[in-house]
Parts: sequence; structure tokens; C-alpha cells
Amino acid sequence: MTPRKLIALTRAGIMESLQFRLGTFVTLFANLIYLVLVYYLWKAIYASSGTDVVNGMTFNDTMIYLILATALFNFLEMFIVWDMSRSIQSGKIILDLLKPMTFRKYTFWSYSGSHVVSFVLTFIPTFVVVMIVTKGAIHMGLNLLWFAIATVLALIINFNIEMIVATICLYTESTWGINIVKETIVLLLSGASIPLAFFPDKLGTVVRYLPFRAVYDTPLSILLEKNGSDTISGLLSLFGMQLIWVVVLTIAGTLFWNHSVRKITVNGG
Amino acid sequence: MEKNKRGLGFYLRIYRKVLVQDLKSKMSYRADFVISTIGMIMTNLAGFITFLILFGKFPSINGWDYHHMLFLYAFSLIALTPVQCFFDNNWNLRFMVQSGDFIKYCFRPINVFFYFISEVFDVKGLGQLAFGVGTLVYAWNKIGLVVSVPIILKLLLYLLTASLFMIAIMNAAAATCFWIQGSGYVMVIMFRFKDFAKYPASIFSGIFRVIFTFVIPIAFVAYYPSLVLLDPGNVPLLSWISPALGILFFYLSYKFWMLGVRRYDFTGS
Amino acid sequence: MGNEAIVMKDLCKDFKVLNRHEGLKGSIRDLFSRDYKTVSAVRNVDLTVNKGEMIGYLGPNGAGKSTTIKMMTGVLEPTSGEILVNGVVPYINRKKNCENIGVVFGQRSQLWWSLPLIESFKLLRDIYMVSEKDYQDMLELYRSLVDIEPILHKPVRQMSLGQRTLSDILAAFLHNPDIVFLDEPTIGLDVSMKAKIRSLIAGLNEQKNTTVILTTHDMGDVDALCKRIVIIDKGQKIYDNDIEHLKSYFGSYRTLRLKLDDDTWEETLIDESKTDIMEVINRADRQKKIRDIELIEISTEEVIKKIYEGEAS
Repeated sequence: MTPRKLIALTRAGIMESLQFRLGTFVTLFANLIYLVLVYYLWKAIYASSGTDVVNGMTFNDTMIYLILATALFNFLEMFIVWDMSRSIQSGKIILDLLKPMTFRKYTFWSYSGSHVVSFVLTFIPTFVVVMIVTKGAIHMGLNLLWFAIATVLALIINFNIEMIVATICLYTESTWGINIVKETIVLLLSGASIPLAFFPDKLGTVVRYLPFRAVYDTPLSILLEKNGSDTISGLLSLFGMQLIWVVVLTIAGTLFWNHSVRKITVNGG
Repeated sequence: MEKNKRGLGFYLRIYRKVLVQDLKSKMSYRADFVISTIGMIMTNLAGFITFLILFGKFPSINGWDYHHMLFLYAFSLIALTPVQCFFDNNWNLRFMVQSGDFIKYCFRPINVFFYFISEVFDVKGLGQLAFGVGTLVYAWNKIGLVVSVPIILKLLLYLLTASLFMIAIMNAAAATCFWIQGSGYVMVIMFRFKDFAKYPASIFSGIFRVIFTFVIPIAFVAYYPSLVLLDPGNVPLLSWISPALGILFFYLSYKFWMLGVRRYDFTGS
Repeated sequence: MGNEAIVMKDLCKDFKVLNRHEGLKGSIRDLFSRDYKTVSAVRNVDLTVNKGEMIGYLGPNGAGKSTTIKMMTGVLEPTSGEILVNGVVPYINRKKNCENIGVVFGQRSQLWWSLPLIESFKLLRDIYMVSEKDYQDMLELYRSLVDIEPILHKPVRQMSLGQRTLSDILAAFLHNPDIVFLDEPTIGLDVSMKAKIRSLIAGLNEQKNTTVILTTHDMGDVDALCKRIVIIDKGQKIYDNDIEHLKSYFGSYRTLRLKLDDDTWEETLIDESKTDIMEVINRADRQKKIRDIELIEISTEEVIKKIYEGEAS
């Protein structure tokens, strides 16, 4: 696997994403409306609560967190589960398996192009808008670098979660069911719909050790310097958690995939 | 020549037959049914947990207390059932359009929209219905609403109204794929908008109040119709006329969908 | 209405497509580009098909075949020109037009994927409002033409490609339509299945006097089924006549095969109106020893190829 091949895949992915030109604008617009909904909801919630700070989060903190979580969600979104079930049904999976690189690698790098596009087209504009609207509420320092690293790690964790769920599709045709379970769990337990800070203590403690929070909550906490990420030890423990999950999920995902593919090829399914 | 009498009765008969056949064939995929049902329960559970977490921290939103909010929540769940059960094939539309397979729906002497939609009946929506009904009964009791035949009839009428709006939203969202390549995200985000239907529309103000009432009518998916039951002494005009508006929105979305079929040039093949 | 099943006059269809640019930079430019070009898929086509005719509608890929079929089935609206199918303007009266046509699109099944074939048939019977007697008669006719029992109770998704194509063809004829459009009906099938499907189509056409419009790349289909062929290329009709006429037009062509001393066959296409065959053989014989000689009539396939290459126009 030469880097040139990988770059070629990324490039092809970028061009493919740009083909959907109107789709790109519509996605941006739909996101904006979604954020308006989020804004009004939390404004009402804070207005009714009577205090300005809840669980260490001000209204502004919550909004920035949720807006960036949405942008991150778009950026990280993959459709591996759907693609997989489609290519199994059409038999295209055989061709994918014959590609001169491992399927996991191939999938990861084919998606990298659309990641680049959505990062430039959704995350960066969102970030800039947030900066302007909040007049610089996000600290611009080393945290940006830490955030970038955490995001790459989040991307790998997310990819592995997707791949593991997609592998299950080799065993059952119930793609919808499997996908919705995954989506629900990830959205709730990663803090993408409600910031983890609002979770009740016991539930919050459990969730903090699960891989899902490493996808959304960790990069955002680091960016916003919450959850102790403004100290070296806090930062290290967040990164440590991410790294552990990267390793565990990569190994588990690879083993599960290899095992399943072997089984499927033997059965001729 | 005398074959031109395909009225409502004809379509109902065809629908019933397709449905019976579809259910029969679904029964032969038990594993799929079980997994999908688990998925459905999980999403509802996650939604409910989100709700509980929010109300654990904030006892009321915009003057609406826990039980009233629960009522809205349950109302929206029930109103979502028809779109889930009967209009689920909309999710496949963009794949069909992209691959060119959609053309097969145009070769029959029946309504294209009907033919397309009738193909899929989604059983798992019924799980959501059960969940919604249970919650509604609970909230109904806690609030201390009266039970009488006229009130139940009113409830049914306004539930139906609410679901018409949801169907209209999803129809229109799905139909965007006739114009825009890669518009899949529109459906995804519209489906996420529905999560905001369970909050009182009074949280919106200004232009967005208008948008979420008349353009993307999520205010009608629970808020306006349920006011008829929750606050009988003080029902706004919009609530009263919502059934007529619901029919209008459904009709418009249907026209939009059909316009897409006309406009689409079937070059996918 | 007369005897015409399909009448097309000066039919045109244009598409507007975005001019795409190459490379990464081009993709970014396309995001904002309004640079459209018009592509004529079908240009000034005149065609009349009589009832009961089976015509082969041929042309290279992208010639405009399926665009024409889509206009005849009412799915696409022509840019200009007239079109009448069974006396109906298809794109205005799509539903009415669909009553009287059947369509099979190669590998794209139109049946209910998870239902046994017989259930699909019953649904189609209801959709087309076929009377019970006509329906049973048709099933009877099917049974007399082909062995349908093994597939009748099988869900379409479990069928082989051949069985699926067979099912789709049966479904297209079920409501006894006046016209059936068959787009690549034998694509990807083995020889025996092809033969089965050809004889089925021929049988149905004979029994029911159904007009059949067949688009295919398989000349075997054309030879077996069609008396008349229409060829279009780049959106324009370039040939419309009997298949016999076509062959006679190129009748002076023969392929000469010579087996040489080293056991290899050498092929030459000879136009007898210009070259004398004996002369060619003699010339060859002087250079090498000839062990065997074969003379082959030109196949339809080669004739068509010649037409695509522009020799007949």
C-alpha cells in the first residue's frame, strides 16, 4: 500500500462528493435550520430554569457544544452499514474483497475524501460562524491542535464502530434494525444530542468510560477546554481513553471482520 | 374502454392485497423482524431517556410541566406511526431513482405514488404505537383529563391530522431526490426535526415560528393538534383548522412528489 | 385508428446536461457552474409499427433506443414531434397507455421481489382488472408454451436470472396488452434459456397477435423473431426495412475461410460484386497449399456492424 494509492482514493472521494453540488448546499441549509431548532429549545430550557449556569455549562457553552457536535456529526457520518448491506445484496462485495488491499483499508480511505470535503464545507464554516457570533468564546491556542488530534482519533473510533456493525450485516439482512440501534446508542451516549454534563451522575460515570463519548464529547471538551482538559493530566487522561479505544476497537474490528469473511467465503454465501 | 373506473375502492382493495402478501413474506424473516423490533424499542427508549435526563435537570419548559410535556411527547409518537408504517418506502426512493430502478413504477396503469408507497408496509412502527399509547394514557391520567366519546373522537381526528403533517414533510423531503443528487441528508435531517415536534411551538419566536408552522410544519405534528385536548377553553384558531391544513399539506407534498416523477429524466439506466 | 399500433412523426428528445470539467479543480468549478449543453438523444425519428408486427429495434449503446422506448411508454415527454401508441398520446395519458402495453426491462425485475410469482400474477390481474376467465385462459396458454410449474410458487428473489426473465415476460403479457416492449430480454442467459424465451415470445405473438418491440444486442434474438428491423444511431433512424432486404443488400458479401498447410484458418470478407472468389482462391493457392475451403453467408450481426460503420446510409 503506497501513500500514492491512498491519496488517489482520497482524491477520487473528494471529486465524487463534489459531484453532488446541489446536495452540498442543501445539506448546509438543512443543518442551519436544525441548529435554529436546537437554539430555540435550549433558550427555552435555560429561560425556564431560573439559573444561568447548569452543571457548569452556561447557555453559550451548551449552544457552542451542540452546534459543533452537529457539525462534527456531519463530518464523521459514514454510511458503511448501508453500503455494506447493499453490496452484499447485489453481490458487489465479492469485487470489493478482490481489491488489492484489505477491505477495511479500502473502505477507510475511500471515505477519507468525503471527510475532507465535509470538514472544509461544514465544520470549518460552522466553526467560523460560531467564532463570529460568540465574539471569540472559543479559546484559540494549543487546544486547536489537541482538538485536531482528538478528531482524527474520533474518526478512527467511529470508523471501527461502523465497521463492526457493518460486519454484523454479513450474518443478517436486518440492516435497518442494526443501523438504528447503532445510531441511537452513538447519538445518545456520545453526547451528540445532550451534552454529557447534563447526564445524571451515575449514568454519566458509566458513559464516560464507553467508546462512544470518545467520538463527540472528547474532541469537543478539548476544544472548549471543559472536563478538565485545560490541565495536562486531564488532557492526557482524555487522550489515553481515546487511544485505548482506538487500539481495542481496531483489533476487535479486524479480528471480527477477518473471522466473518473467512466464514462467509467458506459457506459461499 | 370500460376499464377506466379505478376509484378509491379499487386502490383500497389493491393495498389490502399487497399488504397481506407483504406481511406473509415478512413472517418468513423472523430474525429480521425481531432485530428491527429491538431497534425500534431502543430508539424509543433512547428518546425517553433523553426526555428524562432533560427533565431531571429542568423541571419545566416554557411553562409546560413534566406531565404536559409527556403528553406532547406521546402524542407525537403516535402521530409518527402512520409515516413509519405506511410511507417507509420513501427511504428507498433515492436509491431507486439513482439506479434507474424507479422506472418500473411508471409502467402500470395506476397511480405511481400509490404503487411505490404500497410496496412496503413496516410492521415495526406498531411497537412505537404501543409505546406512544401507553405513555399517552399515563400522561392523560396524571393531568386528569376527562374521558368521553366525543373527546376520544376528537383525539383520533387530531392524531390523524398530526400524522398528515408528518407524512407531508417526509414526502417532500424524499421527493427532493428527483432534483438533487445526494439529497439523502434532507430526509435524515427532516427525520431528526421530528424530535423537536414534541416541544411546545411557543418556544419559537419571530420568523422561525412562521417557518416551523407553515414551511416545515413540525408545530403541527404535536403542538397545535394537542392543544385542542390539553387546553379546551383556550384553543387557537390554528388548532381548529389544522385538519384542513393537514389535508392541504399532504396534497401539496403529493403534488410535489408527482412533479418530481414528471421532471425526472430517468437517465439513471 | 386503423392498423397502426405505434405512430411517431418527427420525434425529438433533447436532454440538458451539465458540462463537467476534469480533475479536482474542475469538480470545484462545477459546484458553481451553470454551463449546460443540450444533447439530442432522439432526432426527427419517423416510425410506424403495425399491429401484430415484431420489430427489432437496434442500435449501438447510447443510440437513443431506450429514450425512444421511454417516450412510447409515456415515461418521458418528447421535446417535439408527434407520438401515438394505440391511438393514445402516451405522456399525456400515461395510465391509459399503460393499460395496453407490457414492458420488460432486461435485468430489472418489475415483480414484487419477495412474493411467489403466482401472487404477483394475482396482483397484476387485479391492477389491470383482468377478468377471471381471461386470466385463467392466459395461464393455460402459458402452460402450453412453457413449463411454468417450477417457478409459479417460488419467490422472485430466489429465482435464477433465467427464471426471473421468464417470469417478467409472462407478467408483461398477462393482461393481454396490444404492445409489449422487450428491452434486452435475453441478456446474460445461457443458450437453452435463450431458445426457450425466444420460442415463448414467438408463441405469444402468434397466439395473441401482440405487437412486439424488441431492443437487443443479440442478433440471435433478431434472427429468430423479427421480420423487420429498425436501426438508429446517434438518435437518427438509419435503416428501416425487412431483415431479408437487409441481407440481400449485403447478399454479395461472403466470408471465405481457407485452411492452410499449417492447420490455421484464414478469413476474408469478399464483396462478390467487386471481386471474384475463384481469383482469390487461386491467388492464395499459388502462395500456400490450401487444405480446405469454406464459404459462409454473411450473418445479420455483420450486416448490422456494416450499417453502424456507415456503409448503408
